Amino acid sequence: MVPESSSLSPSESLWPAFAAIAGATLFAIVFMWAETEAYVLGAIAAAAACAWAARRFGVSARAARIFATREKVLDWGAIAGTLVLLAAFHEEHFPLLMTATVLLYLVACLGLNIQFGYAGVLNFAAAAFFGVGGYTAAVLIRHTGIPHPIVLLIGGAMAALIGLVLVLPVLRTRGHYAAVITIAFAILFRTFLEVNDALGGPQGLKLPGLQVFGWNFNRNFEIAGIGLSFYVNYVLLALALAAVAFALTRRLERSWIGLTLDAVRLDETAAACFGVHLARWKALSFTLGNFMAGVAGAVYALMLGFIAPSNFTFGDSLIMVSIVLLGGIGNPWGVVLASAIVVVLPEKLQLIQEYRFILYATMVILVLLFRPEGLLPRRLRVYFPGWNPK
Amino acid sequence: MKPIRTTLAALAAAAVMTGFTPGAAEAAKQKVKVVFIGPLTGGTSANGLGGRNSADLAVKLRNADAKAKYEYEMVVLDDECKPAVGVQVATKAASDKAIIVGVTHYCSVVAVSTVDTYNKFELPVVVWGAVLPEITYGHTYKEINRVNGTMINQNATNAKFSTGLGYKKFAVIHDTSDYGKGHNKYFSENLVKNGGQILGTFGVTTDQQDFNAELTKIKALNADALYFGGLTPIGVRIRSQMDKLGIKANFIGTSGIISDAFIEGLGPLAEGILAFREGAPVDKLPGGKFFMEKYTAAKYGEPPDAYGPFAFAAMTLALDTIEKVGPDRKKVRDELRKTKDRDSIIGPITFDDHGQNTYAAISKYVVQDKKWVVWEDSEYASGKRKLAGR
Repeated sequence: MVPESSSLSPSESLWPAFAAIAGATLFAIVFMWAETEAYVLGAIAAAAACAWAARRFGVSARAARIFATREKVLDWGAIAGTLVLLAAFHEEHFPLLMTATVLLYLVACLGLNIQFGYAGVLNFAAAAFFGVGGYTAAVLIRHTGIPHPIVLLIGGAMAALIGLVLVLPVLRTRGHYAAVITIAFAILFRTFLEVNDALGGPQGLKLPGLQVFGWNFNRNFEIAGIGLSFYVNYVLLALALAAVAFALTRRLERSWIGLTLDAVRLDETAAACFGVHLARWKALSFTLGNFMAGVAGAVYALMLGFIAPSNFTFGDSLIMVSIVLLGGIGNPWGVVLASAIVVVLPEKLQLIQEYRFILYATMVILVLLFRPEGLLPRRLRVYFPGWNPK
Repeated sequence: MKPIRTTLAALAAAAVMTGFTPGAAEAAKQKVKVVFIGPLTGGTSANGLGGRNSADLAVKLRNADAKAKYEYEMVVLDDECKPAVGVQVATKAASDKAIIVGVTHYCSVVAVSTVDTYNKFELPVVVWGAVLPEITYGHTYKEINRVNGTMINQNATNAKFSTGLGYKKFAVIHDTSDYGKGHNKYFSENLVKNGGQILGTFGVTTDQQDFNAELTKIKALNADALYFGGLTPIGVRIRSQMDKLGIKANFIGTSGIISDAFIEGLGPLAEGILAFREGAPVDKLPGGKFFMEKYTAAKYGEPPDAYGPFAFAAMTLALDTIEKVGPDRKKVRDELRKTKDRDSIIGPITFDDHGQNTYAAISKYVVQDKKWVVWEDSEYASGKRKLAGR
């Protein structure tokens, strides 16, 4: 994946990059639309053939080089691709729901990536923090008149706050032991919700839709005579959140904070010897990651209109961890790819009914077997786009 | 992508209006899609698969019937017994305009979380297995109907019958899932109405191993009987730990313990235990023999399980309704709600103004010689044997 040289002449054409983005968008649209086995398999086969051809003729290498040197092309290309997807499905509820779900999982997993990929703080309770955000939003919207955008932020803040309580034991332990603490929290969280009738108990709570400045997110609407699904609102919101979360993760990685976090992860003793305050940076990354999960969870709960403890089990936390592992620990683009795969693939495998999880698990194992560092492994730190240390 | 589906739907509608004449060539039967949703993977998959097979059987029998006006295709979706997945697949099914009606959900928490989705996207559904009362009584949506009884009916019968036997003082253990808590609520209400008394109520988690703390307290309370609201695994543990502590009170359970595994787990300790379930046993159902013959002939890999006949009845009712008013969601919705005294293999079906089947036959069971025997046929009813604590 690492390009041999970053010396890209300014005049070099950008078409391979645009072709790659357009191809990926087209594939996403066809794949989401495909309903029968023939279409799903056909789409995968066609994509594989295109990818092979692109590699064969050096297009993919050139695209990769352009992406490495001009990151904005990829960043804005991905956003544009999502908008094209949105336009293609503007009236179809289900693909839009899936798209929004992918984007919200992306936000939560980027948070997990900061904790896990940069600072090395294990968190097996990501779904629980996702749930804290959702429940906070549910309670605030049902019982208070706080404007909804602020509710979303409070959802994140609440997840961060509860995370802070966990920080103490997490900091006092290392490795497996810290992991066990978060696992305990994930299980405790669910049991707490199930016995707590004020929070709806095991049956969960119903929520009204999101409202921002009088705009109701849960109503289908029309623009210039074209009917749009109400999920368009949520996709746009989730896209904005994902873009902000992505930019934040990138900036964080490239700043001196990112360097510090890497040092904390790689060698605690050495980092401490150089005057790095371990507790501070672990707490910061843990809190920031939980905040992102909380905000994503709040939007997710509002979008589904229903929240119940069984959405936030330990198993769901493991799915989030698997997204980070599958994508490539520490690489935000890997998280993007893996979120899309992990959320959409089991859904597409509905075709094979009860066997789908066997196939799905096999695919995950195969990926980790042949690409143990994930689909898109993290590369050497590049402090700014196109930077060539040679 | 949207135009393709809309065009298809429009073509289908046009076909209904113009193409259809009764007795037209059989080869040209119009295709109509229906959906089945249930848990095909996870802990409750046995029920989900049994339900799916039974619904599939209903569709196959109808397609084999030369008099049927349409050819039916059943789409099967897996809700994993998780609300978030349930909302996803419900959205998928409901936003597919070709699908006219759904037979949906075994898990209560999923069924209650999806009612808004069906209402929003106007897909009429018949619930085939979930027992939580709120699924039909928690709203006024016209789309939601249910063929099976609720846990209210079950516990009303239970309380009346048990107090009639002379059990007046009860201790209650329930699990803290929606299932256990609901059972506790409706049993307690009904018991007080029937002149009984609750001495103590204990909530336990669904994976608890040791019940000595609760049972020691219950022993001190000196109850006539112990009511257990929960499923087989912890039921077995509680009953055997009762024996070790020498508690003489009889054990009275819910539909959740009516399984062969319960008796196998307990051996002789199971003797004389009472439990209640909606509907009659398959061989006592009006059409039970017919159902089992057809089911066996179709050679499915899994048994129909307790709720299979309900899925069969729900699907048959749905198909009958389409046959009567044509494949139009609104008409099917209104016609379904008018269902009155319709014969089915589970007995007559009559929907009240919430779409709940008012005919709720609750069967009383007792364990006699390592078998669940219907009370009326047992030696306990005839006075030959005596129940514990009587």
